[in-house]
Amino acid sequence: MNKLKLIIRNKIYFDQYLFISITLLSIMGLVFLYSASQGNIETTIKQSVFVIFGLVLMFLVSQPDPDFFKNNSLFFLICSMILIFLTLIFGKEVNGAKRWLDLGFFTLQTSEIIKITLPVFLAAYLYDKSLPINLLNTFVALTLIFTIVNLVRIQPDLGTSIVILIAGLYILFLAGLSWRFIGVSFGLFVLSLPLIWNNFLEPFQRQRILTLLDPTSDPYGSGWNITQSKIAIGSGGIQGKGYQMGSQAHLDFLPETETDFIFSVIAEEFGFIGVCILLAIFFFILLRCLYLALNARDRFCRLTIGGLSLLFLSTIFINLSMVIGIIPVVGMPLPFISKGGSSLLSFYISFGIIISMATHKKLIQR
Amino acid sequence: MINLNQRLSEKKNFFNRLLFVYIFFGILFLYLIYKTFTLQVSSYSDYELASLENKTREFLIQPRRGIIYDRNGEIIVNNIPSYNLIANPAGLDDIDSLILDIQKIIELSDSEIKTINDNFPSKKRLNRELILKKDLTPKEIAQFEVRSYKFPELQIAVRYSRVNLFPYIFSHSIGYIGNLSEEELEEILISQNQRPKESIFSYSNGFITGKTGIENVYDKKLRGKFGKKTYEVNASGRILKEIETIPPINGEDIFTSLDIKSQNVAFNQLDSRRGAVVAVKIDDGAIVTYVSSPSFSVNKIANGLSKKEFNDLILNEDKLFFDRAAQGRYSPASTIKPAIGLYGLKKKLIDWNFTIKDPGFFVLPEDGRIYRGWKKGGHGEINLQDAIIESSNTFFFSLAYQTEIEDLREHLSYFGFGKNICKDCFMPDIGLLPSPEWKMNTHNFGWYKGDTVNMGVGQGYINATPLQLAYYSAFLATKGRLNNFSFVQDSKDHKKDTFISENINLNDWAKIHESMVGVIENPRGTAGRLRPLKDYIVAAKSGTVELVSTETKEDYQIIREIEGQRDHAIIIAFGPMPNPEYAVSVVIENGESGGSVAGPVAIAVLNSLIKE
Repeated sequence: MNKLKLIIRNKIYFDQYLFISITLLSIMGLVFLYSASQGNIETTIKQSVFVIFGLVLMFLVSQPDPDFFKNNSLFFLICSMILIFLTLIFGKEVNGAKRWLDLGFFTLQTSEIIKITLPVFLAAYLYDKSLPINLLNTFVALTLIFTIVNLVRIQPDLGTSIVILIAGLYILFLAGLSWRFIGVSFGLFVLSLPLIWNNFLEPFQRQRILTLLDPTSDPYGSGWNITQSKIAIGSGGIQGKGYQMGSQAHLDFLPETETDFIFSVIAEEFGFIGVCILLAIFFFILLRCLYLALNARDRFCRLTIGGLSLLFLSTIFINLSMVIGIIPVVGMPLPFISKGGSSLLSFYISFGIIISMATHKKLIQR
Repeated sequence: MINLNQRLSEKKNFFNRLLFVYIFFGILFLYLIYKTFTLQVSSYSDYELASLENKTREFLIQPRRGIIYDRNGEIIVNNIPSYNLIANPAGLDDIDSLILDIQKIIELSDSEIKTINDNFPSKKRLNRELILKKDLTPKEIAQFEVRSYKFPELQIAVRYSRVNLFPYIFSHSIGYIGNLSEEELEEILISQNQRPKESIFSYSNGFITGKTGIENVYDKKLRGKFGKKTYEVNASGRILKEIETIPPINGEDIFTSLDIKSQNVAFNQLDSRRGAVVAVKIDDGAIVTYVSSPSFSVNKIANGLSKKEFNDLILNEDKLFFDRAAQGRYSPASTIKPAIGLYGLKKKLIDWNFTIKDPGFFVLPEDGRIYRGWKKGGHGEINLQDAIIESSNTFFFSLAYQTEIEDLREHLSYFGFGKNICKDCFMPDIGLLPSPEWKMNTHNFGWYKGDTVNMGVGQGYINATPLQLAYYSAFLATKGRLNNFSFVQDSKDHKKDTFISENINLNDWAKIHESMVGVIENPRGTAGRLRPLKDYIVAAKSGTVELVSTETKEDYQIIREIEGQRDHAIIIAFGPMPNPEYAVSVVIENGESGGSVAGPVAIAVLNSLIKE
């Protein structure tokens, strides 16, 4: 028996902490989704299939050696960019946005792929460069990041493009981008805000920002989502209204309960206690990622784990800030909980990569 | 091999930066948790309420107004159900074809079809009932019922109309109802701890309120309390299920003291002439007859008039809406004489044996001005009793001449002049009991002795409403012990408002009654021709209100060519003597003779009250 266990441990790459907590999160997600979809069994079963498929995918992705990702990162990046271009040309248009490629059995949101391949490529690119990162490499990396971000933004998909931007910048930051450079860039960004406001934001996006500043100015119009979300969360109280008892969710007051606003449903039905339990699990996963990043075998693994875990963290943060009404409404799912195909699978893949990076050891660390 | 130090420093640098980001987000997450805590714990009650208001919709349920009865328990005003064809629009898609189908059974006018089409979209969206046709006839109901299986979404439901079963004779006493303004509604709802919201109506004309008469004065009692129905609704306002129903409390019924029979008699006797009749039961001051003429139909007012009909009503030169009984001001004329006589007795200015010589006029000593009586040549040597029976002006001119105006005013106010004597009348006028201050303020002239002399025969500035004259009549009948008037029988409130004039002894009261009986029974009485109209004894005093002052009968013949210049006819009466039960006053505008024109009306009303 012990021998068998030893073989498994040596041949199979597996992090039980992440695997258990993500599985737990996924199962909770299914329970929440069943209520958020107003007891829609079809939706829940479909999501279950994605969850099972995603867990298998995570396991499979964690088996190859990190060098496999490092060596093929350029190939992955080029493939995902081709998909982005294909989306711009052949994409399926929904509500005025071209974000999806219809593969027949599955509609793929291509930006969810590049969200992973870009940080992995950047980590590989910086693997053998001298650190802290020099100006030329910074320039190359930033050009790549902004090109991809802009390709996603024009779909338009503001939420994902922001996440991709953040993920790319994390890698550069972790690779030791100088504080002076950061300070100057930030100054330029602040100065260019009026330009962005006038030229890069759609009117509805501007309206969302204005609504955030004063949701009561138009409670039945653009402020509706934020107002109803706050009512849902607030009326949950400490203990919540009970599973499937949330009137805000079940009487259609809350918008997008299965995706962006699923946290509001959870908060309404399970209260502050439920919110704390959910956040505790997220927090545990993040701490585990921090630990793994610090103990990673080389610079590529460190940067990749750091970048992908911060991608995960940013997504959670943006989603929660949005439903609580701290930032404007942008389409952003709650990882492992919200209904979704591509976005859900992309997180299983990310964590598959993280586990791969964390579990493949070398005798001599670089 | 890469330098070990370099590797360690890179690792340390990475560690610092990752930790920096984690701490940065850690702080942000703490803020998020704090915000969630604020929403869910600190502001919980606000959001709990907001969530509750989101998911529930409340409807007011309109109560029915109380029924109004006459003193014998006969219904005067009732809520009459009418049948409406009502659709549940949730199951309807094609309203036009439904209208076509209905038209095969029940006729729909163009305006009805327009209303249906206008209301359909919103009613369907909100899942509320849609009224297709109001006031179905029994035939239409029958025609629909046999085919109702074809229309699962339709039903016939009851809505009420407020109907006065005697629409003309109670127009001014009971009054009418009308629509409630938003402000009035809000005020009522707040008083019942409710808030304005959508309503389930009991009446086909919506929110109603008493506008005039008893309907107005007793509105609070009649209106009842609104009920409430609470539904669960979704975000689009669609009704999902009923949560709670608090039934309305219908208004209290009002048992009035009015008597349908005597109302009818008074109304028919007045026969559309301009005037008023008020009769009361003297032991408790309950108003039994209250008619102002000519009249109008309260049902038409309450349930909708065309613009032309409305204009005809308000432009009518007889002023149909004008409540002559409580708001018409008339000089009391000779009917005031018994009160003046009592003043003389009280002040010991005269006694029953005191006489004067009546040459047919009175000369005011101050300026030689002449005040004439109605009879040329006068009544000769005359005492108080005969002065009342024959209605000598000279006697009362000279008696009034000896009075102080302030004393006389105080005395007359006991009899109801110049004040409100009714507990529940709608906007009663208090008439005018003039004073020197009043005259100075109004006419900018001082009070002349001649003004006091004129008051002695009820002419000049003094005036009173028929309601006040009825009070005066009842006050004489009860010898000064009388309740304020009321339209409602209320046995609990039976104590009398006594302000008996102590200085008038019972013998004087009896002699006054005797004199007033003489007005009819004595061959010289001014209302002698009423004698055969009854088979019991009635005390009365007639009066004739001069609108234009004339010197001679010939002059009067000239001015009476114009109807509006003819004298008003007035009478006050009570009976049966010697123990009177009812008192009455009658005013007929331009009726000319109190005794022979107003008198028969008063006797007919007394007959209807006493003979049963």
